[in-house]
Amino acid sequence: MRALFLASLIATFSLQAQQAIQQFVLPNGLRVLHLEDHDRPLVRARLHVTVDPRDTPPGRQGLPRLLLRMLDQAETADLKSEDLARILDESGIQLTQAFDQGGLDWRMVARSRDQDRAMGLLADRLLRSVFLPSVLASQRVACWQEEEGTSAAPKERLKRLLLRDPSWRPTQKSLEAITLQDLLTYRTRVLRPDRAILILHGDLGLEQAKRLVLLSLGSWVVQQPSQGAADTPSLPAAEGPLTIPDSGMGLRIQAVANRPEDPSPEVAALLGLLVPGDPGLFPMRVELDDRRLLATLDSPGGNPGQQSMTLFLERLRVLRGHEFRQLDLDRARSAWLSRRSLESLYPETQMDSALAEALGRGVKDDRLKAVTPEVLNATLRAWLDPANLRIGVVGDPELLKVLVKR
Amino acid sequence: MGNGVRLLVVERRGLSAFQATLVFQGGWAEESTAAAGATDLLARTLFAGTWAEDLTRAKTPSPLDALLKQEEGLLESLRLERLRLRRDPGADSQLPALTASLESIQLRMQGLFSASPLSDLYSARGGRQWADATADALVVQTELSQEFFEFWCQTEAQRLRTLQLSRFAQAREAFVADLHGKGLLGLALLRGAALPGHPYGRDLLDYLPSLEALRWSDLRTYARKTLRPDRLTIILIGGLSLESALPVVERYLGSLPEPPDAEEAVLPEIPSDLGDRRVQTTLGTGSQLLVGWRIPSRHHPDHLALRMAVQLLDGGQTGRLQVRMARQRALVSRVRLHLDVPGGRFPGLLVADLNPMEGHSLAEIEAALHGEILRLQQEPISQEEWSRALVQLETEHLQMADVPAVLARSLGLAWAEGGDWRLADLGIQRLRTLAPETVQAAARTWLTPSHRTTVLLDPTPGASNDPVEKELSRVLRALAAARIPDLAQREHLVSEGIRQLRMLSPDERLRTLKLLEAQLPSEKR
Repeated sequence: MRALFLASLIATFSLQAQQAIQQFVLPNGLRVLHLEDHDRPLVRARLHVTVDPRDTPPGRQGLPRLLLRMLDQAETADLKSEDLARILDESGIQLTQAFDQGGLDWRMVARSRDQDRAMGLLADRLLRSVFLPSVLASQRVACWQEEEGTSAAPKERLKRLLLRDPSWRPTQKSLEAITLQDLLTYRTRVLRPDRAILILHGDLGLEQAKRLVLLSLGSWVVQQPSQGAADTPSLPAAEGPLTIPDSGMGLRIQAVANRPEDPSPEVAALLGLLVPGDPGLFPMRVELDDRRLLATLDSPGGNPGQQSMTLFLERLRVLRGHEFRQLDLDRARSAWLSRRSLESLYPETQMDSALAEALGRGVKDDRLKAVTPEVLNATLRAWLDPANLRIGVVGDPELLKVLVKR
Repeated sequence: MGNGVRLLVVERRGLSAFQATLVFQGGWAEESTAAAGATDLLARTLFAGTWAEDLTRAKTPSPLDALLKQEEGLLESLRLERLRLRRDPGADSQLPALTASLESIQLRMQGLFSASPLSDLYSARGGRQWADATADALVVQTELSQEFFEFWCQTEAQRLRTLQLSRFAQAREAFVADLHGKGLLGLALLRGAALPGHPYGRDLLDYLPSLEALRWSDLRTYARKTLRPDRLTIILIGGLSLESALPVVERYLGSLPEPPDAEEAVLPEIPSDLGDRRVQTTLGTGSQLLVGWRIPSRHHPDHLALRMAVQLLDGGQTGRLQVRMARQRALVSRVRLHLDVPGGRFPGLLVADLNPMEGHSLAEIEAALHGEILRLQQEPISQEEWSRALVQLETEHLQMADVPAVLARSLGLAWAEGGDWRLADLGIQRLRTLAPETVQAAARTWLTPSHRTTVLLDPTPGASNDPVEKELSRVLRALAAARIPDLAQREHLVSEGIRQLRMLSPDERLRTLKLLEAQLPSEKR
């Protein structure tokens, strides 16, 4: 079996204060990361497939989400979708799927004795699914409702809409335009082993992992897309501030800024520690991860909306001009190095870190040391460039009218 | 320990960090109405951040103490002045002067606080802490690298001795804003209707004036009364053994002063068979059905059987409600069951939370839900279904044990709600010996109309996110405005019209909208 591997064992690396991560690659190009942990009889798997806005033809925004929905409802030659659900439940296997900007993800947890069955079912879903044309219309509607958050509370909806990158956001029209053929073409283009990374964690040894992956996903082959190279995505129209009316419930102002193109993961990690902890930002709260910055200000009912908006913009302006010093940087570095040990408390976080490392987004100690206050401050300024901000407000409809007029 | 603190250690040798959980028994259910919200506020003020200035203990009052007292006085004056102006809007306002004084005091206080972005002592060490108030406990969870274990013990002991609460004003303001932001929720309506007069039925939104009147010194007094060593259990999970952890914990947290005996809170009892209760109202942006059955507390022998009943009805993708109501009959877009709402120490609720699919009424899904409850009570449960539910619970249990934060919380709540941390583990073992007939018997006892409260929520007209419904609402309002002078009657008619139109399919709704629009004068279309 060992001979079948293109590179049986490419590397063994380790995140600080964690067990070693073993890596191997199947002949079909699928990269596998393996984290062994025999403490409990559980196995977790995460399959990540990288996608890019350029994979989506113009006017077909929403393809990745609709693809996930259609796969969830699909049948295989032997199994109807309800049979698949029954088998999963009978074994207590949990299989979830998600699309976030940058990738399609399947996450699975199973008792270790059910690992073969679990990986087999994941492979069925990915490789042997047959779409049901009869559910396409209802899935388009469900997809749009999910996208718009029609059933979500107003504040939750605001966050959801702001966090969606405009280049990925579908419209009712773009979803209605997606045909079964579009989905098939997209699946062929995107669901390829050479674009995927599989992370296995838990109660299985390396040899066991190799056997398991080979048996379940070894037959996954690269198929050439029926259409030519990826098209250029349509660019979204410029957006004004997003407003969601919600009577009598106070006011919430939020802003989202995607990470600019150039900063290294190290700078993002350090800013992620320094920015949310800045006491000068109160009452605004800021969350920052390796993808985006989210700023929020809540104001109780009765407070003048314009005053809150002015305060919010002022805090963002101050944050943008913040000058972190060498001492701040040293503290953040030290905190970050200690924080890595917390990953050992969360299997899913260990898997996330392993994936980030494999995708070249992991934080490297030597690069962390090389970050200077100038780079840190310049990155924060670029991140909070007003042109990069998407702002939204939930509040009383009358208040919103006044805010938008201004 | 001598002062009553209990310590539970789960040794995980491979971990390079530890997770430490403090569980104080007695959550918001034990608050008096005057102190409503105090437990939540403690979670936010005492534990949300860890600052050096909150851990300094001086024999004489510190400058920070003096400023906090002045701040307290000004906050109270501001509150009273706002009340006075509400009663007499034309009176001379002292608000600007008071606000200026408050800002000046707060500026001086900020001068005593560190301005460093990593002034939080745990964040500076790469750690994190979060806290939340449940109905039955205040739970504080901290994660740090192993090397900081002694630092954690020392910090928490110092925090509990000092009870400085220096960020009280900021935390209360943020808390009030959060409460306003959440607004009235269906679940709060259900709790209020199903558990009247019991703290479990309380909605904090109704007590906002008390919360706004709660002072810094009141909260300190409340903290001294409730955060007692004899009500505290510490759960440690990490590469620490009991032998290595105990001496350090004992040195710091074991030396917290033993408080004088306190009276146990006596809460009113609510008969579980209050009778079938119903609430129908408009709220939010979507239709929702909430049904709550009053069930016994976690100690009760039937509790485990009800947990299994929940799994059979709503476990995984093949739970009965999911299969029959969502998949086969397409009646609901979402269904969820919750056990022990809001807590398990006292009799609480088993709640079914459902949203109808378009074209189906709340009455339809209510009837279907009751049909499923009757089936559970009367029809035999197949072996296949039983095994499936059991396997799901076992896997969930394994997953819970795999994540220290989840395991610690589960052990802590088992102690706070059930009086014994072992319940977190024993439950799964006892489930294996349970018989299907026991579950049916428990369902027949507890899931009955006399224990039931139903809340039917229709969306507020015009608040829906559905563009067709928004337009329908606008057109109906315009039509009604021309015919009905009484505003209340007009709103009632619009609400009723929207409710009925929701029963139609999307196509029929569009056609109705066009017909109604045609009745409007052209300038209003």
